[in-house]
Order: sequence, then structure tokens, then C-alpha cells
Amino acid sequence: MNPLESLRLAWRSIRGHKLRSALTTLGIVIGIAAVIAFVTLGASLQAGIIGDISPDDQRNVYGWAADPDTEGGPLAGAQPVFTDDDLAAVGDLDEVEAAYGYATIQTQAISNGEETVAQGNGLIASGPSYIREERLAEGRQFRQGEREAVLNPAAANQFEENVTVGDELTVTILGGERRTVEVVGITDTSEGQSPFEGFESSPRVYVPTDPYYTEQASGLGAGGGDDGGDNESAGESGEARFLAIIVEAPSDDEADIDAARESATDYLESDRSDASEFLGDDLAVTFRTSTELLQQLQDVLDLLRNFIVGIAAISLLVGSIGIANIMLVSVTERTREIGIMKAVGAQNRDVLGLFLTEAVILGVIGAILGTGLGLIGGYVGAEYVDLPLVYPLEYVALAIVVGILVGVLAGLYPAWRAARTDPIDALRYE
Amino acid sequence: MATAETAVSLSDVRKTYRIGEPVHALDGVSLEVPEGSYTAIMGPSGSGKSTLMNLVGCLDTPTEGEVVVGGRAVDTLDDRERTRLRGTEVGFVFQTFNLMPRLNAVENVALPQLFQGIDRTERRERARDLLERVGLADRGDHLPNELSGGQRQRVALARALVNDPAIVLADEPSGNLDTDTEAEILDLFDEFHDAGTTMIVVTHERHVAERADRIVHLLDGRIERIEELEGDGAVEPASRTGSSEPTEADSE
Repeated sequence: MNPLESLRLAWRSIRGHKLRSALTTLGIVIGIAAVIAFVTLGASLQAGIIGDISPDDQRNVYGWAADPDTEGGPLAGAQPVFTDDDLAAVGDLDEVEAAYGYATIQTQAISNGEETVAQGNGLIASGPSYIREERLAEGRQFRQGEREAVLNPAAANQFEENVTVGDELTVTILGGERRTVEVVGITDTSEGQSPFEGFESSPRVYVPTDPYYTEQASGLGAGGGDDGGDNESAGESGEARFLAIIVEAPSDDEADIDAARESATDYLESDRSDASEFLGDDLAVTFRTSTELLQQLQDVLDLLRNFIVGIAAISLLVGSIGIANIMLVSVTERTREIGIMKAVGAQNRDVLGLFLTEAVILGVIGAILGTGLGLIGGYVGAEYVDLPLVYPLEYVALAIVVGILVGVLAGLYPAWRAARTDPIDALRYE
Repeated sequence: MATAETAVSLSDVRKTYRIGEPVHALDGVSLEVPEGSYTAIMGPSGSGKSTLMNLVGCLDTPTEGEVVVGGRAVDTLDDRERTRLRGTEVGFVFQTFNLMPRLNAVENVALPQLFQGIDRTERRERARDLLERVGLADRGDHLPNELSGGQRQRVALARALVNDPAIVLADEPSGNLDTDTEAEILDLFDEFHDAGTTMIVVTHERHVAERADRIVHLLDGRIERIEELEGDGAVEPASRTGSSEPTEADSE
């Protein structure tokens, strides 16, 4: 009997028990849907985070000085050790395209004319190319040494009247001092521009390190702050020290990135650098690419996903037991039909194929419905959490394969029993 | 051994079931069923009718002796070959019709050909042809539960004939039918017999058996006597004569 005929006959008997078949597939539907939904969410989450690393970012190496034993994400345990001279020297290295500092200045509020909004996120002070040009929706990058700022949409839209390029804002620094900034650009996204900021959406204001950070840091130094450790450096040298350094490699090629990373580390750890006076046993420079920094998060996501897939696998197991059970009932119920088929010339393998096909159809239908449901679930979830939707298509294919597999495994024993049925007994069966 | 003119032959066939004490369901039965003949098998409950049917129908193998169906010795075949032989050389008609409940009349008739790997279009054509011959040309698309008992048995008969078998084996074919319908079905049997089909009918009803050329009377696993009809009179190979017309219902 050819497979198409088996399919036709098997489909006939499934349709003969619509409710029963539907309930049987439910276990598979739930299992597959759970896997697909969570894998979709996982992939979307991943894309939401990893997708923010544009090619330009991928050639950036993020460095900070911290106790070598410190564990954690970007800037964990970071201390301000890098001076402007260090940045300039690193930027001049052959293997390095550019280098600039990174710091945050704590703030309280931002005013646009009469209107003032609270702003606890601070100013993000860095080099002009920290905001890459293709990330600007309008305007231009800020210039070093100018009182200029680039805002992200979330920051620009928090006022009643949206801030546009050319507007002047007043920023109240933690401590009460006020600084004016001229808005010169708006970014295209409210998500973080680098792993230092984190990737979540929030209002952010980007400013040049000079003058904002330098005057802030030296001001603190001149004022003789109460925290000895941090201020000492700024006080002694009389200039700002940066918490972090961003080194741009000439390309996102791994060799280039490693070369940039190595030469920057070598320079900073050598006596030539200002940073070296703090480095040594206590502090070491760490350079990481975004991708490397994200790996940690990725590992957690993977763990979570595997956990959920594990639970879904249990649901699939329960589902396949359901199919096996219903197939056994079906075989018993149709003993007489099996007898008829055998009497009119059905071979054992025909009967086996018929029942196996039926189980596989149930499995595949479950897998298809489950996949659909899972994709919808993933869509709703991604929409709800506001993630870019990414469908892991390889899992969709896998789900169908699993459906077939579940059907075969669940149907094997019942089908074998059906095939072994003695036609004489079966024909007598009431 | 089978000759060209023999559809079925049994030589000294024994079938013994071992359920505790050995039970000899058939105890040395020899019978030749010539091609184109019409044989009725009668006997009381436990006389070995069902066992004989199962053997002739290639559903079972004898413990001893030889059963030849369509020129092939059933006892030498393995299960697969036996199934194949059954599919091509034996057409079954059952008391309870035994149609597939979810297949319509055409599909039921075509079912044996499905297992022979015959093309769907060809199958359906053949099935419709046969349904027409049994007078159900307009019932092809009906499911069994939409058909009357007599119509179902016609479908079953068409199914039995679909592979042009060496024999049609009918087990109490009219046992579930009323008198009028019974007559119609038996008339159909006569019609196909006249057209050359070899018929074996197992029954306990004398008037059903009388449609045949001869009646084989079974008793306790042996052929009690063979009664030739149509003027030839009865031949009695066994010495004892018993009631040839048991009245108790028996469909085993």
C-alpha cells in the first residue's frame, strides 16, 4: 500500500473521532507552543540586545580599570584612572583608530525654558564619535570643547514641547550647579549606545567630556571633596580622570580588535601612561568588546531557555503518552476493522503503516498547531515587552520533526499490536 | 494435488487446538472444490465449519494434511504469502457484512485492491462496475450505515469479487437478512455462479444450502456425507447419518 493511501485512510479515521483526536493532540500543541513561544521570546530578546551592536560598535573595545578579581558586567569595580593625555596617547597608537573617555556626570534636572523635568540619569560624557553619525536622526555630533549636547528621543520628548536641534537647555548638576547645553543632534533610538550605558531605553543626554567632565572633575578636586580616594587623583594631577576608555579599532576584524586591545593595554600598563600610577597589583585594565560583554547575559538567557525547553519536553512526553494511549484504545476499538483489512489482503506492514501514519498525523498536527500558537504567543510577548520580533525558523522546522518523532514513538507499540492481530480472532471480535 | 479444474482441495486435513486437552476441530477431511462449482457446507455447532472456512480462506494453516487454494499449498506459505494469496484468491462474505464503517460503498469494494497496490482510478472504476452488477450503481457514495442490510451484503459480495478470486467464501451470508432480502442475495450468488464464480457457502439453513450443487455435511470434524443436488442424490461416505438440518443458531 503506498504512503498516500495510508495517509488517506488514517486521516479518515482521525476525522471519525474529531474531539478525541483534538484532545489527544492538545498535549503536543501545548508542549510545542511553549517551546516555540519561549524560544521566539529568547531570540527576540537576544536580537533586542545584540542587534544594538552595529558594525561600528563591534570595532569598539571598552576598557576600565578595576580590581582583577572583580566579577560583573561593564564598569564593575571601575576606578577613574585614565587622563586626557592617556587618551591622546592611546589614540595615537598605530593599531588604534581613535580613543576617547567615558564618564557620567550626575544630574538632578533639565530645563527647557520654563519647563523643568527631573533627570537622574546624568549626562553621558564622551568623545564626539561615541554617537556614531548613522545613529543620528537629525543634527550632528557634538564637538569637543563646545557646550553642546546630543539627546536621544526619550530625552527630547519628555518636555511638553519636544526639544529640537538648536534649542538651549539648562542642566542642573548634582550639587546644584547649572550648565547650559545647546542641542546639536537627536539620536534615532532611546536605547543605550554602548554596553556602558546598558541597553534599556531611557532619556539620555550625551555631552563632550570637555568641558563638562573636565570642569566637573577638576572642580571637585579644587573643592577638596570628602572622599579621599577618588578625588586624590584628580586633585593631584589637577585634571580629570576618566572611569572608562573606549578604543576604536581600525576595523571589526578580530585581529585588528585584538591588536588595538593589546597595544592599548600595553601602553596603559607601561610607565609612560598616567594611568600606570594606579595600576599594578590593585587595579588592572580590562578591555572588552560589546559582544564579549554580552556573552554573560547571553549565557543567562541560554540557561533560562534551556530550562523552559526542558519543561516543554516533559509536556511533549506527556503528550506522546496521550497519543500512545489513545492509539491503543483505537486499536482495540478497531480490532474488527483490522480483521476485515487482513481478511481482504492487508499485510502486517500495511496495518502497521496505517496506525503509525495515524499517530504521526496526530503528532504533526499537534506540532503545526503548537508552532502556530507558539509563534502567536512569541509575537504577543515580544510586542508586550517591546522587543524586535525574531522568529527562530530552525525551531519551527525542529518542531515538525519532533511532531513526527513523537508520533512514531507513540504509535510504534499500538501499531505493532494492530499489525500482530490475528484476523480470525479479530473477525469474531464484537 | 490440485488440478487446473480444482479451485480448492483439502487432503486428509487435521486441525488440532491445544487448549488443555487437544481438540480435533478437523479430523481428516478431504474435499475437492472444482472450479465453477457451488458448494454448501452444513453442520451443527462445533462440527468444524469455522475451522474449515478459516483453512480454505487462508486465514489459518492445518496441523496436518494439505490445503491447496488457487493452485498453491497454503501450509507451505509464510504469513505474508498467505495474506497475499488470501487477498487475490479468496473473496469473503460474512454474516455481519464486515464493511469498513468509515469507507463508502465504492471504497469498501475497492479495499482489497488497495492492498494489491492497484491504482486508485482503476480501483474505483472496477468497484463502480461491480456495484452496478450487484444493483447498487447509485449507492456508491453511501457509507455502510446509510445502507440497508441487503445493500450492505451486496457491497460485501462486490468486494469479495473485486480481485477475481478463485473462490468466494460466504459464511452465513443471509443470517442477518429477512426472507425477501435473503432471496435477492442468494439470487445474486446464483447469478455469479452461473457466470463462473466458484462459491462455497457455510450455512445451517437447509434452503440456503439447497441453492448449491452439493452439500457437504460436517459432524465432529469429519465429513459426514456429501449430498449431490440436482437429481444426482446424496452420496454418503460416512456410515452414520445425523440430522443435516440443525436448528440452533450457529455463526461461529
